[in-house]
Amino acid sequence: MCLSTVYKGEIKPENIAMQNVMRIECDGDMVILTDLLERQVAIHGTLVMANLVEGQAVVRESAE
Amino acid sequence: MIFSKLAPTVCYHEDGEAHSHTHTHAHTHDGVEHTHEHTHIHTHEGGDHTHTHDGAHGEHTHSHDCTHECNTCGGCDPMQETLALMQYMVNHNAAHARELAELAKKLGELGNHAASEQVLAAVSEFEKGNLRLSAVLASLK
Repeated sequence: MCLSTVYKGEIKPENIAMQNVMRIECDGDMVILTDLLERQVAIHGTLVMANLVEGQAVVRESAE
Repeated sequence: MIFSKLAPTVCYHEDGEAHSHTHTHAHTHDGVEHTHEHTHIHTHEGGDHTHTHDGAHGEHTHSHDCTHECNTCGGCDPMQETLALMQYMVNHNAAHARELAELAKKLGELGNHAASEQVLAAVSEFEKGNLRLSAVLASLK
């Protein structure tokens, strides 16, 4: 139930895709992130992992 | 494609950092001009930039100016965001307090009454702290 930070590729501050993420949805080749304020970001790629204790998730972007 | 529900932008970035914007632009293809709103993620070093993304009509490339500082674009409301986060934390703490009370109950059922009482005392202190946070939150609203 904690909020998460979602990173692209690997967990590094410069790779933050979104903070305070409350929902992650996978829809086909899209990963849709929704933050506490209901803002959404859609990333072409796949969810690699979600660490629910640390509040971290990683998304791998699809090759262009 | 999913779009940001809060216009106009999502911006947690400094120049050079990947970030996203929601915007609308007009374009023409097959003789028909139309607009659509979309969100995409890109990186830039300030000023003009060009990017490629998938819209409702397939992948295309366009450019636009981006000259604002993140904290001046008006798209984010730091106070609104802070209050939302604080409200979430207060609710979150209350949920954790309930979970800790359940743990105390479990310890009691397992026969460790001293530990159960200590956890309940900790829950009480935890709730006092959360009440203080609630009061601050109410004063900010």
